[in-house]
Amino acid sequence: MKALYGLYVDAASAQRAVDALRVASSELKFDAQQIVIVSGEPHEGYDFTDSQATSSPYRWAVLGAVVGGATGYLLTTLSQKSYPIFTGGMSLTPAWTNGIIIYEMIMLGAILTTLVVLLIGAGLPNFKGVITDPEIGMGKILVGVVDPPENSRVELERRLRLAGAAQVKQSIL
Amino acid sequence: MEHKWGLVVDLDRCTGCEACVVACHAENNIPTAGEDQAARGRAKHWIRVERYWEGDFPNPRVRFQPVLCQQCDEAPCEPVCPTYASYHTPEGLNAQVYNRCIGTRFCANACPYNVRFFNFYNPQWETPLQLQLNPDVSVRSVGIMEKCTFCVQRIKAAEIQAEAEKRELKDGEFTTACAQSCASKALVFGDLNDAASEVARLANGNRGSKLLGELGTKPNVTYLERGSWQDANNG
Amino acid sequence: MQTTAEQIEQDLLRPLFHSSAKYWIAVALATSLLLAGVAAFAYQLYNGIGVWGINSPVFWAFDITNFVFWIGISHAGTLISAILRLTNATWRRPITRCAEAITVFSVLIGAIIPLCHIGRPWLAFWMIPYPNQRHIWPNFRSPLAWDFFAISTYLTGSTTFLYLPTIPDFAAVRDAATGFRKKIYRVLSLGWQGTPRQWQRLETAMHIMAVVIVPVAVSVHTIVSWDFAMTPVPMWHSSIFGPYFVTGAIFSGIAALILAMALLRKLLHLEEYLRPIHFENLGKLLLTMSLLWFYFTFAERLTAWYGNSPPEMAVFWESIRKQFAPLFWTMVVCNFIIPVPILAIKRLRTITGTAIASATVVVGMWLERFLIVVPALEHKFLPYSWGTYRPTWVEDTLMASSFGMMALLYLLFSKFVPMISIWEMKVGLQAHGGVPVVAAADGPVLAE
Repeated sequence: MKALYGLYVDAASAQRAVDALRVASSELKFDAQQIVIVSGEPHEGYDFTDSQATSSPYRWAVLGAVVGGATGYLLTTLSQKSYPIFTGGMSLTPAWTNGIIIYEMIMLGAILTTLVVLLIGAGLPNFKGVITDPEIGMGKILVGVVDPPENSRVELERRLRLAGAAQVKQSIL
Repeated sequence: MEHKWGLVVDLDRCTGCEACVVACHAENNIPTAGEDQAARGRAKHWIRVERYWEGDFPNPRVRFQPVLCQQCDEAPCEPVCPTYASYHTPEGLNAQVYNRCIGTRFCANACPYNVRFFNFYNPQWETPLQLQLNPDVSVRSVGIMEKCTFCVQRIKAAEIQAEAEKRELKDGEFTTACAQSCASKALVFGDLNDAASEVARLANGNRGSKLLGELGTKPNVTYLERGSWQDANNG
Repeated sequence: MQTTAEQIEQDLLRPLFHSSAKYWIAVALATSLLLAGVAAFAYQLYNGIGVWGINSPVFWAFDITNFVFWIGISHAGTLISAILRLTNATWRRPITRCAEAITVFSVLIGAIIPLCHIGRPWLAFWMIPYPNQRHIWPNFRSPLAWDFFAISTYLTGSTTFLYLPTIPDFAAVRDAATGFRKKIYRVLSLGWQGTPRQWQRLETAMHIMAVVIVPVAVSVHTIVSWDFAMTPVPMWHSSIFGPYFVTGAIFSGIAALILAMALLRKLLHLEEYLRPIHFENLGKLLLTMSLLWFYFTFAERLTAWYGNSPPEMAVFWESIRKQFAPLFWTMVVCNFIIPVPILAIKRLRTITGTAIASATVVVGMWLERFLIVVPALEHKFLPYSWGTYRPTWVEDTLMASSFGMMALLYLLFSKFVPMISIWEMKVGLQAHGGVPVVAAADGPVLAE
């Protein structure tokens, strides 16, 4: 996998680079999915970050909570009714005490679902090679194209520099 | 009708001789703690005779109160056991299942009567005392809670015998070790659901009260006592 | 001093690659404490729990005191990380990971203690509801079963909450490391790259976790308090226990956090990141919690005294005037009399001042747990069976080793994980338009 990328000192120039690459993808005939952006921290307020916002993790967390609660209810009620053992003059399935278990299972469901949704949504774990650059740790943002078409390489480099790249590099994985 | 086992303790008859304590030890394989352990507060007596002094010299009165597991209908020790080692049997006993006990000691803390005991060490009997162990009762190993069971081994043996002979249990056919050994007949054991039984007659009489009854534990042990100390003093 | 992204990365990764002799001495001390505890526990397993000082009627003492103490300390992370995240308090950035690490390790220790204190620890797994042919099943009506579920959930939640924001930092270490270390961090970072999609997903996940972990933390310590309140024992059977314990937990948690931060600052040379403003803000929080603690303690004691119920008064006087009076009044001094002036007077609210106040609070809160458990058990309803309690060397060793374990886990954590969240510090830089600052609250430190 090869990549041609530029390093940008701030998010504004990175946004210009992303826009330029999107225009280039239709002109130079490569897929917009090949555009890669890597940064060492999240940036808010720019299209290239905010377009990735989604509310689906919240919905999944609620679903996980519901499933957790149902599991808790079934666990406490079904199991206690199957083998009735009476203690302390209490009823067999006291709502308040079972409610505590159900509450904890609701929370556990939300937590585990959030973790799983994050891993799936972020594509983790991903042990294939990742495109990275030491400059990212210094605060720069990497914007580039993975496997760019051979004949467009020079043109892409020009456009990356035009957007304000501090450096333009190629990498081979 | 189902049996409901109960005990009556007649405080007016109790002389504090502690024969019940000894009999319970013998029947239920309870080891003696020894001087050192007893000094550290680990003596185990499933039934103990509490002694209280009332009044001052020259007329102090001593009061003996045998305290054992009250087999509460709404026992605070039952819901708190995480492994169901403490639960309520259909015959009204608070059962302790030794095999289920993992020794959290929560039940002992919840018991207001302090009648639950813990095996801090593996029990030992000096030879030849191990020869007198009761084969009908298990020996509890370290880490297990134990308490008075109303001699459940005797209850079960009598029930099995009665069923084999295809008849009902008769009142007075068997009794607990403590009641059996009481010289002044202060302890009476039997079926509270049997209206004709001695224990039902005494428990429903007008001298009866429950120990710490205000806590709402609904004990099945009834204490009989005739009035206050002042009445007794004045004749 | 100029703090750039590069500087941040260098400073915060340095402890992972370089350690001083002092560090290794500290690790050695902590390890030896822990090993002493392991030996004491082996001795206890072999001989029986009689080697402790517990007896009839004091069936719980140091074991449960330490359990409640450690679970209480764990509320540090939840408050700082979750609540300060949710309220967008930007000064929290350098301290979130320190706090979350305290939470995870103290919940871990708190979860281990009950496993070690039961009479037959090798059967502790019976608390797990697993299908079996022996009809073994947990009793869901028992507060200990609630403990099991609550602490498992809290441990899972706080570990997740610690791990998620650490993934990008593991990636940073991966990029800076070589050889075998690089391989390990490649696994730990799960191949994190840093695309906008990944950042969005991570921040959303952290937001959900922050919202979920706060009610879990509240429920955990409430359920722990119900280990006591659900019994009829005088002075235990009180509805105030739920909020009282949660307040006390947050109180002791903040104190532990301040202490940990003060130590890390010195050991890892993080003076530019853990600045006086952080200790000031945490000190103000600690002051608030001290006042709240005093309020709850006063309310509990006043209602007991005014109600004048004989079983409760027996326990009450033991603490206030009799056997436990020295410990009780020491607790009040440690939790209230010393910390409040230090934390309320701005001139005294320095790093050293807050650290001293925190140290006394940690001692005072341990005493508070002890004074809740033991006096009540010593004096239940029937005076004939009142008892006394003295700890033995086994319990002292186990307690010391819990501190050793905490210290060891924390020290090892600081060696393998950046103690301050690198990417969050860089976000903090962004927020001030690239002007280098590390603490927003008292104005930016401008580049020289």
